Amino acid sequence: MSTTVDRPAAPPAPHGPHEEPRGVVSWITTTDHKRIGILYCVSAFAFFLVGGALAGAIRVELAEPGRQLVTEQTFNTLFTIHGTVMLFLFVGGFGNGLANYLVPLQVGAPDMAFPRLNALSYWFFAGGGVLILLSAVAAAGGGAAMGWYAYPPLSGSGFSPGVGPDLWILGMALVAASSLLSGINVITTAFLMRAPGMTMWRLPIFTWNAIVTAMLGLVAFPPAVAAFALLFIDRRFGGHVFDPQGGGDPVIYQHLFWFLGHPEVYILVLPFFGVITEVLPVFSRKAVFNYAGFVMATLAIGALSMGVWAHHMFTTGVVDNPFFSAMTLLIAVPTGIKFFNWIGTMWGGRIRFAVPMLFAIGFLLNFLIGGVTGVMLASAPIDYQVSDSYFLVAHFHYTLMGGSVFAIFAAIYFWFPKAFGTRLSEAIGRWVFALLFVGFNLTFWPQFVAGLRGMPRRIADYPSGLGFETPNLLSTVGAGVMSVGVLLFLVDVWTAFRRREPAGDDPWGGSSLEWATTSPPPHHNFVTLPPIRSERPAFDLHHPELDPGAGR
Amino acid sequence: MRRRASLAAAPLLVFGATACSGAFGMPRGATEQGRDVFDLWQTFFVAAVAVAALVYGLIAWSLIRYRRRRSDDAEALGAPFRERRGLEAVYVAIPLVIVVALFTLSFRTGQRVDDLDPDPGVRVHVEAFAWGWRFSYPDLDLTVVSEPSGPGVDGPELVLPIDETARIELVSNDVIHAFWVPGFLFKRDAIPGVIQTFDVTPTEAGVFQGACSEFCGLNHAYMRFTVRVVPSTEFDAWASERAGASGAAA
Amino acid sequence: MRTAFRLLVGLGVFGLALGTVYWFLTSEVTGSVLLWSFGLMPLIVAAWIRRRLRAGGGSRPADRPDAVPSAAAGEVIGSFPAASAWPLFLALALVLAGAGLVYGAILLPLGIGLVAFAVLGMMRESRD
Repeated sequence: MSTTVDRPAAPPAPHGPHEEPRGVVSWITTTDHKRIGILYCVSAFAFFLVGGALAGAIRVELAEPGRQLVTEQTFNTLFTIHGTVMLFLFVGGFGNGLANYLVPLQVGAPDMAFPRLNALSYWFFAGGGVLILLSAVAAAGGGAAMGWYAYPPLSGSGFSPGVGPDLWILGMALVAASSLLSGINVITTAFLMRAPGMTMWRLPIFTWNAIVTAMLGLVAFPPAVAAFALLFIDRRFGGHVFDPQGGGDPVIYQHLFWFLGHPEVYILVLPFFGVITEVLPVFSRKAVFNYAGFVMATLAIGALSMGVWAHHMFTTGVVDNPFFSAMTLLIAVPTGIKFFNWIGTMWGGRIRFAVPMLFAIGFLLNFLIGGVTGVMLASAPIDYQVSDSYFLVAHFHYTLMGGSVFAIFAAIYFWFPKAFGTRLSEAIGRWVFALLFVGFNLTFWPQFVAGLRGMPRRIADYPSGLGFETPNLLSTVGAGVMSVGVLLFLVDVWTAFRRREPAGDDPWGGSSLEWATTSPPPHHNFVTLPPIRSERPAFDLHHPELDPGAGR
Repeated sequence: MRRRASLAAAPLLVFGATACSGAFGMPRGATEQGRDVFDLWQTFFVAAVAVAALVYGLIAWSLIRYRRRRSDDAEALGAPFRERRGLEAVYVAIPLVIVVALFTLSFRTGQRVDDLDPDPGVRVHVEAFAWGWRFSYPDLDLTVVSEPSGPGVDGPELVLPIDETARIELVSNDVIHAFWVPGFLFKRDAIPGVIQTFDVTPTEAGVFQGACSEFCGLNHAYMRFTVRVVPSTEFDAWASERAGASGAAA
Repeated sequence: MRTAFRLLVGLGVFGLALGTVYWFLTSEVTGSVLLWSFGLMPLIVAAWIRRRLRAGGGSRPADRPDAVPSAAAGEVIGSFPAASAWPLFLALALVLAGAGLVYGAILLPLGIGLVAFAVLGMMRESRD
């Protein structure tokens, strides 16, 4: 059964009466992009809590030298699953969820182009997530413990027997399939389902970033799925593709894997660049600065990121280090442009320090550290020292946790009123921000120091007397502070649903189309669409006294 | 408002404090190659601090200068500042110049670090295995092997003469490991099927910690070793004493 | 549409060029093939868009900066399915088939059967 949707003419024709399921069934059978988006985000956040608990166990184990809490085998499983869950299920899943929820609203479409495929992509994601979690616990012969990039020969059947890695591979394949499906959906929706007047050059920056993210996923995931499939054949059916003893080549796996792996980190950060670019102008009460520059920078980051994969392999001695070093350094240019555009957006504004803005500022401060240390890592000779050390661990947590995760909290505080019609608390939100910001920097800043002092990553234990003790203890304390912040956030959500204070359709003075409909939006999103005359249709609608696109 | 400014500057201060310890947090590099990497690191570090200071300054300035004040009209809009072509060109050009300069420096250092001496003073064959190391000196006919690794077990010792180029051939026969000596600012992956060749020329005597830095399974954390750099007379004495002993042990 | 077309062609050309540069610098096969296929993929979509543009798809209301909402009144955007249980079913069946690959024996044929059933079910439903 399906509903044919026309562009709304003057008064919308009511949909014909048909039976909609209710309750839980309505959620698990839904094809509505808003519900799927919410399912994605809620599941991703649940995965965040799981991954966070694993990280907590890691930090407790590493608080002081010696083994206290877990065995080496368990520790190895902990960081393997922590990495996989946080990257692919939490940050990746949340990015997909936001794209699902926002892209149709922002382009003025009633739903995604392929709603049933969209539901399928969510269930693949959920199924893959369950398999990945099962790979840690329900695996005879030990959980998956080969690190999230599963390098053979370590991930081969000889060195990692048991079904843990097999379940992990299948889970990853499902998550990859889910990414492909939702990528196709996002691109088709943004290209073909825009409302009248919503030209490509009026798309909100978030939607642009979602398009580029989707394209990266479409190009980067298939090689990784191929790598996983070949690895599975090696493990289960006696293949020797990556097995040097059988004439295979483990380096090919690294190429295939990082051809996904590096675009993946941009898949994990571009949607959140988009979030920040939505939040900053709204709370500065301005239009975004240098719109075209933002789009170009996003495209440049996306394109360049396809040519940098082997900077993860500088220390293998078998790749062209200068080529990858140059490509990686070039990415600093569009990223720099984005930073200056963000500053230009705040420049001359009337900045309100509401909670989404606080998290956006936290993003800017943290991500900059991730960025400048990224430039250091882009130099092959420096990488000879810092690669695979805690310096690297600190670097990518500054981009992913200090960057993307802070943007996720900005997004939650920003769009929660739109999605649920009720606001989160400003007072509690400020505390959540303070705890997370302080806790985050306390956790990861010392890891730069530990890494430069020579601490390798992925070790269950470290010797005393090498200067590792203090940084690690500080790190563990910081992780404790962050977990208090996350718990407080859960309290905030819980009380928001109890209070049910109506948010209004446009609580922040937003720019893009989702602020021109009700909170939450009706089925098929818009009863009437405003005329679209600039990249800020909702703002134009609420400020009829100004020329559309005023201030150009 | 001052508090907000200092909040923004706080990470920078710690960066500065790290810098004051003299080595920007990094060991100075006890080999010729490591010294090169250290010089490069200093340049990158200064560039990073300069860029971070500029950007943090601009962020702090916009947050303070353009905050909404109590006296402001709640509905007031920001200034119509949304495009400045000249300014945009400047901030495309500046990062581009910086990365081109950094790349050039990094490229040159990379060539020197990866360079192989045609006539190394000593050759060492290093085999990484799960979970330990086998250091053999083919010209001296002696071998040093790890004890079975575990918590609290000391790793084997690689002895190198000072001021002589040591050619290291690194292999692995099981999984991927990595040979890392933080004091030398150098690491290289040991990949089964690949023979890795690189030179280190120690310039400081002393004992340096080493570790496997590529995750290699259960006892990865305990796959440590030490490098002892000694004057060449002492190296020869050690070699002749050890050659006799290891002949019996091996 | 034109913007999308230019974007995809730009990406495709970039990928092919980068792959070629990489090939001449390194002669490394895996990376070159990956980069060339990265170049070809957007070109496939670009070719499709070009056909649409030739068939007059370039003047859709969405691509006209001055189009008013009523310009597209009555334009059929698409047909949107109501609730469907097949996506969940298909994902569960795939998880089962996957578990069959790992745990073997009975689960595998059962899983494959259920996957086939789910695919058929979803196809039939989307014909409505």
